[in-house]
Amino acid sequence: MRDPRVERLGELIVSYSLGLEPGQILRVDVPPVAAPLAAALYRAALAAGAHPYANVEPEQLSEILVKKGNDDQLAFLSPIAAAEIEFVQAIVTIWAEENTHALTRVPPERHQRLIASSRKLAKRRWERIAAGELSWCGVVFPTSAHAQDAEMSLEEYEHFVFRACHVQGTEDPVAHWNVVRDDLRRRADALSEVREMRIVGPDTDLRVGVEGRRWQPADGRYNMPDGEVYTSPLETVTEGEIRFTFPALFRGREVEDIRLRFEGGKIVGAQAARGLEFLEALLDVDEGARRLGEVAFGLNYEIDHFTNNTLFDEKIGGTMHVALGSSFEELGGENTSALHWDLVCDLREDGEVYADGELVWRAGHFLEQPEPARV
Amino acid sequence: MSSDSRLARLADVLVGYSGRVKSGELVLLEAPVIVEPLLNELYRAVLEAGAQPVTRIGLALGEVLLTEGNDDQVGWVNPARREDIERADVRIVVEATTNTKAMTSIDPARQALVERSRSALRDRYLERALSGELRWVLSAYPTNAAAQDAEMSLSEYEDFIYGAAFLDNGDPVARWREFAERLRARADFLAGKQELRIVAEDTDLTMAVGGRKWIAADGHENFPDGEVFTAPLETSVEGEIRFTFPAVFRGRQVDDVRLRFHEGEVVEATATHGQDFLEEMIGVDDGARRIGEFAFGLNEAVDVFTRNILFDEKLGGTVHLALGAAYPECGGTNRSALHWDMICDLRSGGEVFADGELIYEDGRFLNGT
Repeated sequence: MRDPRVERLGELIVSYSLGLEPGQILRVDVPPVAAPLAAALYRAALAAGAHPYANVEPEQLSEILVKKGNDDQLAFLSPIAAAEIEFVQAIVTIWAEENTHALTRVPPERHQRLIASSRKLAKRRWERIAAGELSWCGVVFPTSAHAQDAEMSLEEYEHFVFRACHVQGTEDPVAHWNVVRDDLRRRADALSEVREMRIVGPDTDLRVGVEGRRWQPADGRYNMPDGEVYTSPLETVTEGEIRFTFPALFRGREVEDIRLRFEGGKIVGAQAARGLEFLEALLDVDEGARRLGEVAFGLNYEIDHFTNNTLFDEKIGGTMHVALGSSFEELGGENTSALHWDLVCDLREDGEVYADGELVWRAGHFLEQPEPARV
Repeated sequence: MSSDSRLARLADVLVGYSGRVKSGELVLLEAPVIVEPLLNELYRAVLEAGAQPVTRIGLALGEVLLTEGNDDQVGWVNPARREDIERADVRIVVEATTNTKAMTSIDPARQALVERSRSALRDRYLERALSGELRWVLSAYPTNAAAQDAEMSLSEYEDFIYGAAFLDNGDPVARWREFAERLRARADFLAGKQELRIVAEDTDLTMAVGGRKWIAADGHENFPDGEVFTAPLETSVEGEIRFTFPAVFRGRQVDDVRLRFHEGEVVEATATHGQDFLEEMIGVDDGARRIGEFAFGLNEAVDVFTRNILFDEKLGGTVHLALGAAYPECGGTNRSALHWDMICDLRSGGEVFADGELIYEDGRFLNGT
């Protein structure tokens, strides 16, 4: 039985996110558990006159490789995969796990090596995306494992995911995302004029310099669901403190109630209610890990829960997030780091954001008319 | 299912014996997604052999392509498959399906288009196999769909498969080596013959095989296995043959096929069911009307018809012929996008004569042959 929401999601990605054209080759990277979405994408791509194929990636194989593989096998780059990355014209990556902690107990060093072996392919993929030769979209397919992380039933979680993608109802999702794209574009253009942002909330008063940096709308082209505007702030001017009420996740590990203090762009104080040691280890990864690589507004108001999945959490309407570590070069960012860790700050209760002294955001929403700053 | 230790043994035999996988080789594992439990074992076994596993896993989207795709899309050959065929040192292909009849209502002309568009890939992999650059083995994974076609329960069908693969007891590799000896002796015997004549009910077919090579199929390219096969001289086949078992191809069943040959070519083809499909397939190209293979099934552990050609053609007491492409390693020259095996049961009353001498009766070679 086909789920009409899955069919609509497939059509949305093919027509809106990828803009797939007749004759183009689409590869769908899919774990077996997400087969229904792969089939929906396949049908939509056929209807668009393209040449789709599924690249099925069984979840257990990486566990077997990490546990049984020798060094050469771990470092191996398939010449077939290297050839594919050159001729495909579109890729959809479906993120769907049957067990989000299947690799928690494997030696982290070996897991790192496995990830490193695919870096060359990932780099080539981004080069081709940047050159306009390849379109790409990453999308979540709801599974019991993700529902469990979100503390929901599968049915509830499906509702949550499909609502966030705007394919739950009967209205045209493409029309919705076209409106979102225009809204986010206007918002990003306005923010690109701003010199300094001040974020105020419980235990939070942070000044971030963004002068000369470009704000980018995340409008469903590269991720589905989506909905944020983001930039890379100036590296040396962040001042003040910020508290993150949501747990911060990194590679399956959790740090709770993080508080950070910045001076001259650099973290000079870090606290956490749980996981402080892990937090400190991440801050010490390299020089750049103590500076901000990203600041962003989450603007998808259909995402209204924290679900332990960064793809959704960073887009929760009414939140802001910052990322510690690497910044976006194309937006003017100059911070480099092996780390890029998104931390989400809930501003829905009584948060305020000022742009060059004017109140532009209150209680999780941009104001229609900016107001002068209160003293 | 993954707790079935026979799966691990099957994987070990496929990798070690059939594929002869060596350290550093690139091993392509091709299977539909429902084969995941065996695939995991194969992946493990390839890693343990020091080789590099890569996967090409299907999602059973062929039916969608054939019903919803246009001709250009149906005929499209994925360049990734060309890379697979060019780069792999070993291909391990495992077949399985959740519904063997899913393709039944597809327009036969579209399936013919698929066969034609894939023929260049097929030619290339046969070429690499012939030159020894690529080894390949085809196997099957038990599913309820296959069990249903065999009119068995899944557990009965599993026992059947593992029995046919000699995985039920003893050392399977030792048993395959011993069986391979017997198959080679049979191939050597047949290699001395010029002409074969097959006689059974509604069947009297002669063909020249002199100068062609007989190959013992001993578990290296098919697994399980057990036949000796050759490629008859392309223009020599005369007479008629009736296939008492249904002929199954790409999920389509054709019943009670009768073929009449003249100078090697099919001049009349009838079936009680599926005549359209039969005609479409033998019309794929010129080579599809000629015989590419003739073989004796010799695996006595395969003793019932299961509607799966991998097993049926090995059925002890049968012969089969394939319309279409010949195996060049036999010396065959027939080229076609088609290779369709059809089986003729000789267990009750069938006879085979070699150069006029009776060599085979009621499904068995006579003593002294």
